[in-house]
Amino acid sequence: MASQANTIVALSTAPGFGAIAVVRLTGPISLSIISTLTNKKAFKPRLATFTKIFYKTNHLDDIIVTYFKAPESYTGEDVVEISCHGSQYIIERIIELCINEGARNAEPGEFTKRAFLNGKMDLSQAEGVADIIHTQTQAAHLASTNLLDGHTGIFIKKCQKQLIDIISLLELELDFSDQEIDFTPKSKIENQLVDLQNTLQMLIQSFNYGKLVKEGIRVPIIGPPNSGKSSLLNAFLQEERVIVSPTAGTTRDSIEESFRRGGYQFRLIDTAGLRQTTDSVEQKGIERTNKYIQQADLILFIIDPSKPVSDFQKYLPNNLDDTIIILNKIDIISESQLNNKQKYFKNFNTITISAKTHNGIHRLADKMVNHIKVKRPKNENIIITRKRHKYSLINTKQSLEHALFSIKDNQPSEIIVMDLRIALDSLSEILGKVYNDDILNNIFKNFCIGK
Amino acid sequence: MKTDYEIIVVGGGHAGAEACLASARLGHSTLLITLDKTNISRMSCNPAIGGLAKGHLVAEIDALGGEMAKIADSTGIQFKMLNQSKGPSVWSPRAQSDKIEYSKQMTAVINQQPNLDVLEDCGTDIILENNKIIAINTKNSGNISCKALIITAGTFLNGKIFIGTETQTGGRIGEQAAYGLTESLNSHGIISGRLKTGTPARIEKDSIDFTKTTIQYGDKNPAPFSFQTTDFHPPNVPCYLTHTNTRTHSILERGFDESPLFTGVIKGVGPRYCPSIEDKIVRFKDRTAHHIFLEPEWYNANQYYVNGFSSSLPKDIQLAAIHTIPGLENAEFIIPGYAIEYDFFPSRQIYSTMETKQISGLYLAGQINGTSGYEEAAALGLMAAINASAKIKQIEPLILKRSESYIGVLIDDLITKDPKEPYRMFTSSAEYRLLLRYDTADRRLSEKAFQHGLLPERFYLTVKSKEKLRHTLIEYIQKTNISPTDINPILESKKESLLKSGVILSKILKRPSITFDDISCFLPQNLVDECSKHQNLKNIIEVDIKYEGYIKRNLSQVKSLANNENKKIPSSLDFRKITSITKEAQEKLFKIKPETIGQASRIPGVKPSDITTLLILLSK
Repeated sequence: MASQANTIVALSTAPGFGAIAVVRLTGPISLSIISTLTNKKAFKPRLATFTKIFYKTNHLDDIIVTYFKAPESYTGEDVVEISCHGSQYIIERIIELCINEGARNAEPGEFTKRAFLNGKMDLSQAEGVADIIHTQTQAAHLASTNLLDGHTGIFIKKCQKQLIDIISLLELELDFSDQEIDFTPKSKIENQLVDLQNTLQMLIQSFNYGKLVKEGIRVPIIGPPNSGKSSLLNAFLQEERVIVSPTAGTTRDSIEESFRRGGYQFRLIDTAGLRQTTDSVEQKGIERTNKYIQQADLILFIIDPSKPVSDFQKYLPNNLDDTIIILNKIDIISESQLNNKQKYFKNFNTITISAKTHNGIHRLADKMVNHIKVKRPKNENIIITRKRHKYSLINTKQSLEHALFSIKDNQPSEIIVMDLRIALDSLSEILGKVYNDDILNNIFKNFCIGK
Repeated sequence: MKTDYEIIVVGGGHAGAEACLASARLGHSTLLITLDKTNISRMSCNPAIGGLAKGHLVAEIDALGGEMAKIADSTGIQFKMLNQSKGPSVWSPRAQSDKIEYSKQMTAVINQQPNLDVLEDCGTDIILENNKIIAINTKNSGNISCKALIITAGTFLNGKIFIGTETQTGGRIGEQAAYGLTESLNSHGIISGRLKTGTPARIEKDSIDFTKTTIQYGDKNPAPFSFQTTDFHPPNVPCYLTHTNTRTHSILERGFDESPLFTGVIKGVGPRYCPSIEDKIVRFKDRTAHHIFLEPEWYNANQYYVNGFSSSLPKDIQLAAIHTIPGLENAEFIIPGYAIEYDFFPSRQIYSTMETKQISGLYLAGQINGTSGYEEAAALGLMAAINASAKIKQIEPLILKRSESYIGVLIDDLITKDPKEPYRMFTSSAEYRLLLRYDTADRRLSEKAFQHGLLPERFYLTVKSKEKLRHTLIEYIQKTNISPTDINPILESKKESLLKSGVILSKILKRPSITFDDISCFLPQNLVDECSKHQNLKNIIEVDIKYEGYIKRNLSQVKSLANNENKKIPSSLDFRKITSITKEAQEKLFKIKPETIGQASRIPGVKPSDITTLLILLSK
């Protein structure tokens, strides 16, 4: 079993909203992963170290890292505990970063299992673990049966079949080259792999859409002070009164309100105005705003067109693809001021409204719906919602990439198959293992073998 | 007559021949019991040894000190390296064999082997004491005692031959079947089943019009199977290619009513990779032609094997159909094609030592394990003898890993996959193909063979010095820098892109069009000369360097799986009582009774979480 040698990562505090969360790594490369992520060379065992963690060169969060050197740790392996702020976004990014550096998602009970196997636990505890794993297997089995019954399951099964077919074509050529069979040219196999890769990419992306649908669309309203952020929020709430449902009883910020439109739930977040300030309280607000921008699914960037460009230019968010620029106050500003700013934003996704008179609020809401709608996968029934599945698909796709590289590099078929088999194993994590016999069966079924 | 041996081998086919030779060479007084002394190591089917993946097995048998490769080299009449247009891990040697000469030479080796007697008789009953083999009862010679019994009965146990609606008993056409042993094993709790295989007609050479066929020769520069073979100059006798047509197919269809295969008379399962011609035309209806190879059965043979035309249809239908094939219009039968059904013992009942889990000292090897092919049988016979010997000597058994040999894959698959049709070796069955090249068999296995006492020291030393030379040369290639002025002329002649600055030699050799010989001028002359003395070594080094990265990846995969691979599962463990694994796993594990966690993890239906639970229970 490979699991023993690998490094795994998981959130070890309860999922949900909490002030602080702990992400834990165990395995041989735990320490090197955290060193890479923090640009730190060394951590002293059992000493809490305050440091920063980066995501795509941006500062993601301030964290506290504690390193437990093997065997003096929970699992008996090198363990790293990362205490971060309890935002779902931050937790997911940290786990993603660890995975990018070579860790993989832990299976249910895997930390405990390792602890047991490394002699960190006694028998009664161990039996408890066996039961837990059993129960979880049943649950996982149930979940995967559910998945298999659904459209997504059928679709992934189709992908698996395609991959098995491609592997069969190559194995056919290797094991049955003495037969009177027309072997498939590499260019055709290459095309099939590219198609499959695109399909997988679509599935992977469907995870993001699935999340939007499931958790609601995070829409921070950003802009300089007095550009009309709060008015806009109020306008939404008043206009959509019939359908608006201020989410009660959750732990959300008081400045968050949500409304439904076009089948989606939009979570509007009013933020602190963006400007240079020395006021420490206001600074904190701005820092928070930046975090909202990072986590946003859609940004409403609102401005007062009568103000100079310098007022907002440097606050324009990086991800302009997911930003709607709102030119507010059309009830009071002059036409030339509006024209001037429209010209400036002519390459952007813009809309003109008046938050005060509610002019254009419905148009804006429709625009927001459309913005999400275009992200919808071609077949809305085919959506993956589990992170484990997403990572299996990503791994599958990566192995396909290696195989495609080998084809371009004119490597022999057994080298290409090597990566395709790894891809098949990754994909099979979702649907169950495929054995060599299944591939041979496929060959015997489709090709006339035998002299 | 002597009635007391250490090891007795029942059956003189390819498994039996390797088994009795290995046993005697390992120092045990050995008896081979065969129905017919003149039929030892007969090739029941095609006149060829090796082929895809099978060639790998032959090389491994050779490295382990077996006999097959050497005899195949000295009796081959045409040699071909298959898959040469593919990557190096799937190159595989194959030879057309002189069937008569093969059998003759193997018989001679057996007859000359000290410690080894041959008895013409039929084993009928196994005799046990405390569930341990102590003797075998024979039809004519009574009880003969032994410490270990290796049964290698091939297709002979309750063998039944089918030609159309005619059936006859027999282990091979013209030879009697063997009775008694299956029932005796059954009575001691060993389960048997039925399998089926078939063989095509043999026809008279003078009745073939070869002008209507395509002639096919072997390689001009043939490579031998055995790393011990030197001075290799085999003949290159051709085969001939022709094909069936729609007329052939419609004649064959007329006989379907009388086909034992389609009317359900044959109960045994046949191999799908080796279907009869009737099977092929039913399953692939839209094909209007199938290749037919005409292969000489020996040097200057008057008898040709009609490869591709295996059939159990009535004789007259077979003949009428053959007469529609170009070149065979006037073909005359020597023997018609036939199917044969025989007993086998599902291999989940054996340990990886080939010893049965039920009865101590009883080993089953060869086609009765549910395999097909001379090479598979020989490998299994050899392994059974090595391990029977190890048990008697009370030394560690020889269990080959999947990551070090095709033989390891073969035995492990037989036990864990519980195959439903005759098992044939395929390269795709091996996870680590790149590590199992046929030309590295000596590197992989000779040390173990030497330690077990089967490979003579002089051959082992040859392998060792070859290995040393290989390491030295590879290290040299990986460390030596080469300047553009030195290398560019060579690159230019190969139409490769030129260098601007110096680079290590291995980088140059990694380029697809560059061969060892292209760079050998930069290596110490004495080492290159030395290298030429070893068969194929230049090519081996070239491949080692070219595929270095991929080989390393395979090695690290093996390493990551190695942790629990050999963790033993006690035979006392009752899988049905483990409630924290899935029901399916309970049943599969109970049926197969894996010896190790590695085996358990490869049983279809056993999930990773089941293995985790097992590990936890085993750590108690």
